[in-house]
Amino acid sequence: MPTLDMEVTVNGRDVKRRATTQMRLLDFLRNELNLTGTKEGCGAGECGTCSVFVDGKLVKSCLMPAAKANGAEIETVEGLAKRGELTYLQRAFHKTGASQCGYCIPGMVMAATGALRENPHAGFDEIKERLGGNICRCTGYSKIFEAVELARDAMNGSLPTTALEGPGAGDSFIGNNVRRLDAPSKVTGALKYAGDMVMPGMLHMQVLRSPVAYALIKSIDISEAEAMPGVECVITADDVPGEDGFGVFVHDQPIMARGRVRYVGEAVAAVAAEDVETAMAALGKIKVEYENLPAVFDPEVAMAPGAPVLHDYAPGNIVKHIPIRKGDVEEGFAEADLVVEEDYGTQAVEHAYLEPEAGLAYVDPDGVVTVVSPSQNITHHRHMLAKIIDQPINKVRFIMSPVGGGFGGKEDMIYQGMLALAAMKSGQPVRLVFTREESIVSTAKRHPARITYKMGLKNDGRITAVEFRMVADGGAYGLSTEGVMRKAAILSCGPYDIANVKIDTYGVYTNNTPSGAFRTFGAMQAQFATESHLDICAGKLGLDPFEIRRINMMRSGALTHTKQKLGSVSLGLALDAAEKASNWESGPADVRGSSRSDLGKAGNREPCTLGSRIRASDGAGGKKDVA
Amino acid sequence: MLNCDQYLMPETLEEALAQWAGAPEGSRLLAGGTDILPWAREGRAGHVHLPVIIDISRVKELRGYDVADGRVRLGANVVFQQFLTDDELRHHLPCMPHCSIWFADDQIREQATLAGNIVNASPAADGVPPVFAMNGTVEIARLEGGSIVRRSVSSRDFITGPGRTILEAGEIVTAVTCDSMAGYGGAFEKVGQRRSLVISVVCAVCLVKLSADDKTFADVRLSLGGISPVPVRLDAAEASLKGQPVSRESVLAAVKTAGDLVRSRTRREYRGEVVRGFIERAIEDALADYGVALSPPEMKEAALANT
Repeated sequence: MPTLDMEVTVNGRDVKRRATTQMRLLDFLRNELNLTGTKEGCGAGECGTCSVFVDGKLVKSCLMPAAKANGAEIETVEGLAKRGELTYLQRAFHKTGASQCGYCIPGMVMAATGALRENPHAGFDEIKERLGGNICRCTGYSKIFEAVELARDAMNGSLPTTALEGPGAGDSFIGNNVRRLDAPSKVTGALKYAGDMVMPGMLHMQVLRSPVAYALIKSIDISEAEAMPGVECVITADDVPGEDGFGVFVHDQPIMARGRVRYVGEAVAAVAAEDVETAMAALGKIKVEYENLPAVFDPEVAMAPGAPVLHDYAPGNIVKHIPIRKGDVEEGFAEADLVVEEDYGTQAVEHAYLEPEAGLAYVDPDGVVTVVSPSQNITHHRHMLAKIIDQPINKVRFIMSPVGGGFGGKEDMIYQGMLALAAMKSGQPVRLVFTREESIVSTAKRHPARITYKMGLKNDGRITAVEFRMVADGGAYGLSTEGVMRKAAILSCGPYDIANVKIDTYGVYTNNTPSGAFRTFGAMQAQFATESHLDICAGKLGLDPFEIRRINMMRSGALTHTKQKLGSVSLGLALDAAEKASNWESGPADVRGSSRSDLGKAGNREPCTLGSRIRASDGAGGKKDVA
Repeated sequence: MLNCDQYLMPETLEEALAQWAGAPEGSRLLAGGTDILPWAREGRAGHVHLPVIIDISRVKELRGYDVADGRVRLGANVVFQQFLTDDELRHHLPCMPHCSIWFADDQIREQATLAGNIVNASPAADGVPPVFAMNGTVEIARLEGGSIVRRSVSSRDFITGPGRTILEAGEIVTAVTCDSMAGYGGAFEKVGQRRSLVISVVCAVCLVKLSADDKTFADVRLSLGGISPVPVRLDAAEASLKGQPVSRESVLAAVKTAGDLVRSRTRREYRGEVVRGFIERAIEDALADYGVALSPPEMKEAALANT
């Protein structure tokens, strides 16, 4: 591999190292200098987690070949403060709770540092814009902007530095702001995520993924890949010693495709080699012969008789059907003055946590197979893996590394099994770090759902009956589909007191990317349909959307759709607060007044703009005066 | 992943031209490099191995800018962030701060060059419409018999299609020269899926100058990106506005047929619809930057009814 001699100053120290021409500045900092506070979230300049200063300018180190930085002065998050100390900004991030999963935070701290270096008096809008190249998925940004404003004021002396000190929990954690214990490790970049961890003799894994949606695997030839210098092992489903299968509810997914591939991106084989490049090259030497099968991509089609069957145990392709019945919907529709039917659809959504999946596995001296990964479900993973590798439970250990955002997307054991098998086969520690592309193509998504809604109402707005049918695309494997269907069914008709309901949710196998757990766990799809439907019905009845909800809302003592008695219900308070806060213009949902009274007030959402720093420096007058 | 046998960082133009002329087939020249690394990834070019990468970002002659005879000559290494931070550039190129603020983000603006944006020749390039509007010319150099030979072409002739330019083997873009637009009001509009770091669905630039009494349009420059293989200058609309009274009616009349310019492969109808309102807003914002407000929005619907 072509190399070059790098001479740079990093955090004030002169560094001489040999680098490869392939390295980006990001790789050089992380792999050569072990400065892992600089993270890789996307590798394509989109997320900002890799932000560093090069000759005083904030740049994204994934967009800079290492060679380009040769001779430069580089500053990383590790160099912002002396060891054991925190900058004003880092203290402010700690104070406001701006770090949650923490993976975006070193980059965020760098961008914020850059913002205040460029303009120590930057206003809120300018701060927001200057952080525009950095993505966070946990905080909604508010606490981050709050931290930058706090640090700015403390640095400018308009607030005392004691403002950066947090109040303690006092006598109780309840009702008090509690500072996050892990924040200092996150704001300084010291915290090691799985992809930051290294072990002596560690191998690097790359995964061969299916290019086809549904096919029989006729043969896999790994001989050429195995023979490559630097390759320590190649694994396939044949290396699984025990009972292969994992999933949150039904264990229908093999560690790697076994006999059949069921979606594009499914793992087929994996290579562990002395470096990523060798492992990647070895993937190209693995020969897989596929015989395409008729695939199915639409859950309604998959449910129909004669559709291709994905899993032998489920001839109708149903992962789970959850029915709920209360009262008599036919009676309810009969007494209705108005019956409204609509269809609703939602799409697949990627979690896009900033930390792509990563893990490190090794077999310890006592023969304990150990997997370190940001798993959201380690105990269950441990039990499943013990069966898969045919070991007693005390010979399997899972260590949960810091989770750089999960949102449900890291509940599935989609790569930990491969790591364990490779560590067992090679006898060496093995690490796998997903690229962003790999994460998007292979991991679970939010269930796309189609919902058929039928609602009966009296002219006064009272709901008499609801028939709710949801068909959700579960994709190729079960993962969390069963639970998602259950929750979607339970919450389907929302917090409304309805005497007669008929609810059916179906999770269905298709050859799409598997769907799994995602924040709200099925409720979002159902709520989108229910709340949209209520607005439509309100319009037809000439009712204000708030009004129709107040008429039907569950009150204290109500029975839920699954007949649970509720002690106290605060929905009315929530509706009052929302109506007030939104400057709601009262009236039916499909009617507007002659002039809008709900815009342009304090607290209303501002239109999208950019350029506050231009406006700030232009002053009040226009360009005419300049000419 | 992007790899190469050799990564060269010439410090003079002559050195760069010699290296570029001698580089093996398939070699690449880069300045900021912000497009090439995302290109060499799975789903696009994948793993790329180039013989030579020539990085011109340290070539001294390509740094900085000059202002002379009503023209601004921008060295090929001028990055987008400079249009936001350099007062003299802001004075002479009043649309460029607005273009830059919508271009990528602060980090990428520190690396990405205007010249590189033009050479990339993306139909959605944010930097191209302003250069078209400012009568930009592209200065090109090559080595001939050991000495540097230069030629200049209009920016509108330089780009011939998506990703295609008239650059020939061994040639390097050394500068982009634009009219000084000092005294004009400038605006840049962009529609994309998010605010920072997004590729334009449609972008528009406008520069305006009014008569001494602020009653009529003295000069208007309009250009659009993202709607056709090559960004377009709206010559007809510009000409029709010149001498017209500054009013909503004049503006709406001038942009009436702008939707017909849309020649995109996708969402042609949508873009056509967006484009009219979009140019209208660009003119309005450029006027505001000039210090003149167009008739208030309440009157817009009445004016629309009259066109």
